[in-house]
Amino acid sequence: MKILLVDDEKKFVMMLAKRLVMRGIEVDYAFTGDEALTKAENNIYDVAVLDVKMPGIGGIELERKLKARVPGMKSIFLTGHGSESDFETGSAKAAFYLAKPLQIEELIEILHEATD
Amino acid sequence: MIGRFRKVLDLLKPEFYHQTSDHLNPYFTFPDYRKIWGIGIFVLAAAALLPLMVVTLIYYQLIQKSVDSELILRTERVASNARRAVTFFLEERLDALRFTVNEIKYDQLANPIHLAEILRNLKLGFGGLTDLSVIDHTGIQVSYAGPFKMEGKDYSKQTWFVECQKHNFYVSEIFRGYRDLPHIIITVKSFRLDGAHFILRATLETERLIQTLASYETGEHANIILVSRSGIIQTPSKYYGGIFEKMALPVPEYSPRTETVMAIDGQRRSIIVGYAFISTQIADTPFILMVIKQKAKMMGIWLDLRVKINWFVGFAIMAIIIVITITCTLMVNKLYLADKAKAEAMAAMEQNNQLASIGQLAAGVAHEINNPLALINETAGYVKDLFVIKKQYSKDDELLENIDYILEAVERCGTITRQLLGFARKFDVKIQRVNLNEVISDVLVFHNKEAEYRNVSVYVDIPKDVPEIETDRGKLQQVLLNLVNNAFQAVDNGCNLAINAAPEGRDKVSITISDNGCGMPEENLSKIFEPFFTTKERGRGTGLGLTITYGLVKKLNGNISVISKEKKGTTFIITLPIRMQEEMNKNENSFGR
Repeated sequence: MKILLVDDEKKFVMMLAKRLVMRGIEVDYAFTGDEALTKAENNIYDVAVLDVKMPGIGGIELERKLKARVPGMKSIFLTGHGSESDFETGSAKAAFYLAKPLQIEELIEILHEATD
Repeated sequence: MIGRFRKVLDLLKPEFYHQTSDHLNPYFTFPDYRKIWGIGIFVLAAAALLPLMVVTLIYYQLIQKSVDSELILRTERVASNARRAVTFFLEERLDALRFTVNEIKYDQLANPIHLAEILRNLKLGFGGLTDLSVIDHTGIQVSYAGPFKMEGKDYSKQTWFVECQKHNFYVSEIFRGYRDLPHIIITVKSFRLDGAHFILRATLETERLIQTLASYETGEHANIILVSRSGIIQTPSKYYGGIFEKMALPVPEYSPRTETVMAIDGQRRSIIVGYAFISTQIADTPFILMVIKQKAKMMGIWLDLRVKINWFVGFAIMAIIIVITITCTLMVNKLYLADKAKAEAMAAMEQNNQLASIGQLAAGVAHEINNPLALINETAGYVKDLFVIKKQYSKDDELLENIDYILEAVERCGTITRQLLGFARKFDVKIQRVNLNEVISDVLVFHNKEAEYRNVSVYVDIPKDVPEIETDRGKLQQVLLNLVNNAFQAVDNGCNLAINAAPEGRDKVSITISDNGCGMPEENLSKIFEPFFTTKERGRGTGLGLTITYGLVKKLNGNISVISKEKKGTTFIITLPIRMQEEMNKNENSFGR
């Protein structure tokens, strides 16, 4: 499984990436929406893990753009708001989400669920 | 018993009587309902009772006047009739004497036998004569006819003799004289053939005169008497002294006509006095005829009626006061309850506002904390992974244990921030179609009564081209309510408040709330949306109202601005997107994290 991890909190991204790698998951990461779009053009990812609120292109818009370019790709949202409410009104109703701080086991479980 | 009475009294006591809920006081339109109640009762009672009392008073005076004039008229009529009778009585007898001295020669009059004959004839013709005598110009009685032996008496020093020589006629007061019986002397002067004068004198019994007077006394309370000009009572009196005593009333002033006056007698009784100075065509007399009536006794029927009217008016006043008190109590109570409900709603809303602001703060804090928390979590997790997965430091149990503590603490923090966010979520946005006209009407309902009482004119102008907007109705309502509240607090009685709306480009509407109240100084304008900034006295404002309003408008993806001039007024302008959802999506990505 290859995933793309996108969050502007660099250290967080690095740590999470290391831990996922330890668990046998192939991880690529980006710190901005634009960077993520470029990466997605050159690589194939099974799942994109996106922070909702980022400067520039936010998680929800990024998901829409990624979906347009790579139709089969799944997305999981990370939110600092810790609630579903962000998604109730957005376009990503059906998407998976996780609240920060997250439990790594939970993330892996959702990753598997998404790729099934 | 007393306890039960108190219970009934408490039931009657209006709720506003003990206005206790202090925390609601700032939200009441009227601060003192007991005062309103008191003023209400007083004004209503005055308005209702004053005309009643004035009319009653006027009625009493009219009746009093008409009764008085009726009494005066009746008294005057009696006095006038009695005067004619007394005058006629005296005149008739004076005329008879005059006729006698003119018809019969002195020689015959000087003859006692002849004189006795004349007396008998006069008695037959007129009655009331006791004796007859002839006195010569020296005052010596020449002849006498009558029951007493009085020949040869010298009258030259007597008043009547002196007066009669002067005026030709004389009528005496009633007096007892030599014979100790009340009588009147009348005399006529004439001349003998030799030129010397003589006087014919007659004595009149008073019994007949008294009877004549008594016949005019109608009813028990009238008293008709003769008094002399010096105030000595001449005929029996019921109330004002015995015969030949000084009368207890003052002697009336001379008048040629019959007069009637109101007076107060010695026993402080109100009386009506009719009087006439008796004077015959031939001679003046010393008599004053007086008709005295006690007013109270004459007015018996009217006084009875007045007592009845007084009772009726008294009951009417009581009934009016009771009805006014009950009506006023019920109305003020209704007003109080309505105002209390409003105050409670406003207090609840204020609290809601405070909670909403706490919620916003909590959400902000939680969100900001969650990111570093996530970093701690991942870092600690990574260290743990090094132990568990890589097994590099698996021997060091203590380090592992400590890392678990960190992770546990992070999880606890995460739970707390999640709870905070859960609390904040209560104030989340709910979008629906909203008609501005309806929302503004709903908000103004809270202020209708206050506007009415304070004479504040509220003008609402929402033109037809302002579309319905999609927004959070509750939040918009709260924004408008806060601003209208502020405006009401800023304006004096009799000022204006205007609420307008207008389309703003294709996708926005603006709502302006303007007042011509006290306005704000320029230096405050930049601070009014800051938290805890207030110009109100302590305890009346939290300083959060406009901050919350600002936050709410932002939450609705709108903008709020203010224009104000001191002593001229203030205008708040809110701009809201017609479709909030679209605006939210647009902003979603430009928000940053």
